[in-house]
Amino acid sequence: MADLRTNLAGITSPNPFWLASAPPTNSGYQVQRAFEAGWGGAVWKTLGDPILNVSSRYAAVHFNGQRVAGFNNIELITDRPLEVNLKEIYETKKRFPNHAVVASLMVEPNQGAWHEIVKKTEAAGVDGLELNFGCPHGMAERGMGSASGQVPELVMKQTNWAKEAAETPVIVKLTPNITDITATAEAAVQGGADAVSMINTINSLAGVDIDTWLPIPHVGGKGAHGGYCGPAVKPIALNMVSECARNSRINVPISGMGGVSNWQNAIEFMLMGASNVQICTAAMHHGFRIVEDLIDGLSTYLDDRGILSVQDIIGKSVPTFSDWGNLDLNYKVVARINNDVCINCNKCHIACEDTSHQCIDMLNDPSGNAILQVREEDCVGCNLCSIVCPVDGAIDMIQLNHEHPPMTWNERQTLIGSLKDKKVSK
Amino acid sequence: MREHQHYLIEREKIDYFIDRGYRIHGITENLSGAFIEFRLKDNKTDEESTEILHIQTPDGRKYFSALLLKQIQTVS
Amino acid sequence: MSSLESSIQKELQKNFTEVIPSLTNQEAFQESQRCLYCYDAPCITACPTGIDIPTFIKKIASGNMKGSAKTIMTANPVGASCSRVCPTEELCEGACVLNHTTKPILIGNLQRYATDWAIKNDQVLFKQGQPNGKKVAIVGGGPAGLSAARELALLGYDVTIYEAESEAGGLDTYGIVSFRLPKSVSLWEVEQVQNLGVTIKTGVKVGEDIPFDEIYSMHDRVILAIGMASVPNLNIPGEQSSGVYDAIELVKKTKAAPFPTELKDKKVVVVGAGNTAIDGATCSVRLGAENVKILYRRSEQEMTAYDFEYEFAKQDGVEFRWLTQPIEILTNKEGKVEGIKCIRMQLLKAAQGERRRTVPVPDSEFIIECDAVIKAIGQKRHLHFIEELGLAHKEGVILINNETMETSNPKVYACGDVIFGKGQGEAMVVSAAQQGKTAAYHMHESLKESYTA
Ligand SMILES: Cc1cc2nc3c(=O)[nH]c(=O)nc-3n(C[C@H](O)[C@H](O)[C@H](O)COP(=O)(O)OP(=O)(O)OC[C@H]3O[C@@H](n4cnc5c(N)ncnc54)[C@H](O)[C@@H]3O)c2cc1C
Ligand SMILES: Cc1cc2nc3c(=O)[nH]c(=O)nc-3n(C[C@H](O)[C@H](O)[C@H](O)COP(=O)(O)O)c2cc1C
Ligand code: SF4
Repeated sequence: MADLRTNLAGITSPNPFWLASAPPTNSGYQVQRAFEAGWGGAVWKTLGDPILNVSSRYAAVHFNGQRVAGFNNIELITDRPLEVNLKEIYETKKRFPNHAVVASLMVEPNQGAWHEIVKKTEAAGVDGLELNFGCPHGMAERGMGSASGQVPELVMKQTNWAKEAAETPVIVKLTPNITDITATAEAAVQGGADAVSMINTINSLAGVDIDTWLPIPHVGGKGAHGGYCGPAVKPIALNMVSECARNSRINVPISGMGGVSNWQNAIEFMLMGASNVQICTAAMHHGFRIVEDLIDGLSTYLDDRGILSVQDIIGKSVPTFSDWGNLDLNYKVVARINNDVCINCNKCHIACEDTSHQCIDMLNDPSGNAILQVREEDCVGCNLCSIVCPVDGAIDMIQLNHEHPPMTWNERQTLIGSLKDKKVSK
Repeated sequence: MREHQHYLIEREKIDYFIDRGYRIHGITENLSGAFIEFRLKDNKTDEESTEILHIQTPDGRKYFSALLLKQIQTVS
Repeated sequence: MSSLESSIQKELQKNFTEVIPSLTNQEAFQESQRCLYCYDAPCITACPTGIDIPTFIKKIASGNMKGSAKTIMTANPVGASCSRVCPTEELCEGACVLNHTTKPILIGNLQRYATDWAIKNDQVLFKQGQPNGKKVAIVGGGPAGLSAARELALLGYDVTIYEAESEAGGLDTYGIVSFRLPKSVSLWEVEQVQNLGVTIKTGVKVGEDIPFDEIYSMHDRVILAIGMASVPNLNIPGEQSSGVYDAIELVKKTKAAPFPTELKDKKVVVVGAGNTAIDGATCSVRLGAENVKILYRRSEQEMTAYDFEYEFAKQDGVEFRWLTQPIEILTNKEGKVEGIKCIRMQLLKAAQGERRRTVPVPDSEFIIECDAVIKAIGQKRHLHFIEELGLAHKEGVILINNETMETSNPKVYACGDVIFGKGQGEAMVVSAAQQGKTAAYHMHESLKESYTA
């Protein structure tokens, strides 16, 4: 079996699957149950001044019969005293010395406050610290969480304060509620972060009850924005991880999270540069037992490919992820419909006709059967038809031979630019 | 007219000038698409004739870009 | 073979290919997404071998096909066969919580999808255990024997299976019709067991080709997994005539080409109403019989065949004659069957907790014209063999300690159909498999001390 051990900035764990800081890691009882089930690490529910929570805290977005496509919460950080958490951290670490136990921290933007919590937490024997600059609701209104996580200077300064006192690696957890996450990631690195983790939850309102006109969830008739996570946020998270991974100024390891629900998702994050993954919603949906298939699926995947260690896949796809301007304008794919597989729902036709390039014709073959045919010369290769097609294998996107040599937008603009220079010189 | 048809016509026009020895001299791109300035020097008279083509289709604009690349590569 | 014959054979081959198509990738994926992944799921409890069903289905959903097949085969060494022949509506699917809201998950079909994947992709799912120096003989290579062998091989035992037939797999290989269970599936399971270092000696009937005492003295323990024997006689006149068949023998002939052609265009009567009778009848239909009737002396309610089997037979056009008792097989001058004389029966009120008894209706004899009679009234016991071994038994049903599968001889264990009946177990592939596992574990418990000490 492939070696699944991972190392995030010096924090080692038996496998890359960590529970994210959230309700699943609220207590020693839970984290120990998780380790028994096979989880490699856990980031403890964020420690700080114990808060008060409201009742009616979560809501989910179900999509066409599948439950929990997205998950929304208005919960804050831990509501338990620091000493209680630290005692349980200590006991957990004693029982599971080889598992990663990381404490998530959040205090007001104040040097003394950071020094105090860092020291106290490290004394309990944690393997590392994660600074929560991400929580988008409640804490932000108090100047913490994403409120400080959206301001690069504050990220840098607070990371620095934590680093002044810290002896274990410091991970900075970033908020996605920002236009360009590399700005805050860079600030964290400048502040001395040993790693960054992302994403925390995305500002959200799960829904509005159209009968009562109340927000979902509501607390006694009032609601407030929450944080969104789960499968629906995966593409957003994956992009943020990839953008950081390919940015040379963010030269620290990344812990990836946001919608990881199975081993395939985990591999995607790792290929795009994450050294490990953290998971919250999937565990909340199904329980800690999901880790069995995460591990089994990942190790089978590696074994099938003769890859000896999971570390060997980290970042392997990063070089393939670039800027739009570096994409080949002359690469061409077109849709091809396999009429023997097609069930004639005509969804591709109407999608292309109404919303793309009007190049799928509804015809009849010589024996009068309805068939669909792509006029390849008009097809721009947008993929829409193959996306709406409900049948495996009915529409293939085929790569055509290059009609012109490869040329990116950047190359093209340079080319045309060079012409202008000449013109000016004449 | 289908866009591809439109492109074929544009390509023919571009080829027309290229076949007659015109060179792409300048390209201006704006909200209306691209304008290619073709020039041809008469070897005897040394007179230069200029032709402007308005290219509207995306495929047309990819096409002249490829020709331009070829033109620059054969010069150097 | 003449071209006519070969075209007939081709036609028959088609009739005997698996009836239920396998799920497409898309069907399997969608169905797997429908599974709720219950915690402490009732389907697991309902499976006699305790397959972790939500886990194997979740693995189909996550694209971990190998893990899925392994989850199934870990719990059930004949899980590929079971996916086809288990009465799932009475077992896992019957327990699915979605019965209360929508429709149960197609557990059997998903199980088949996952194991088919392993078969097609030539997957190695298990590795032999570290040899522990102990030798075990298993008599009978059916589901029970194979399961016991698989578990023992994983634990490091040196296992030899003695199998009377020329191929192992028991009734999965020979007795269950190909259009429900192709032989290749059963043989794949046999191969999986062989790959763990288990020796399978086929064509060796213990008690005839080799004395039981010999294998008994050569091994530390013996497991008897010999199943049941042939179909018993009807004990009516005319039984020895040509045109009278044993249902299991008939099915066996259809498990591989060339197919018998003697039932083509014939009128066939099947006697009995268990799964054997149904398989005999549907087999006859597929062999080209013009008409097939099942005669049963009780009524529809008392029939022991599974519902899905009964439905299947009806769809195949098999006719049922309830409360009909055969009393004589009639033959022509050449001694060939030409009819069967029957008498009508009536049901009596059942005494508390008993099966309803039937009695003949006086003067109600009648004749059904037919060219063939298929006996399918259950299976006999290996009575003679069992008596020779000196094991405690009740009318050929070996008596065991229900918890450990130990027989009256503490070095001999028994599992599968050989212990079925007289209140012990159920004659199903899946229960045979589970009993094989249980026998293996308890045998291991009893031997463990002797070599770990
Ligand atoms: C026609 C028919 C249809 C059935 N349909 C179903 C169904 O749909 N679903 C279901 O769950 N069950 C079904 N069953 C029942 C199921 O097949 C049995 O319960 C199961 O096969 C029992 O397994 P076993 O290993 O105990 O015995 P068997 O499968 O009978 O295997 C016993 C093996 O021992 C061998 N053997 C016997 N004596 C000796 C000897 N002295 N030396 C060496 N080898 C010996 C035999 O050759 C045989 O291979 C059906 C049975 C029949 C007859
Ligand atoms: C109910 C809930 C509470 C959370 N609490 C915290 C928290 O205290 N600290 C923190 O850093 N992140 C918190 N998160 C965010 C998660 O750690 C994680 O970043 C996010 O859920 C994305 O991962 P997922 O899609 O796997 O759920 C919380 C998430 C949820 C759903
Ligand atoms: S999961 Fe249900 S029972 Fe448990 S705390 Fe939440 S609302 Fe209460």
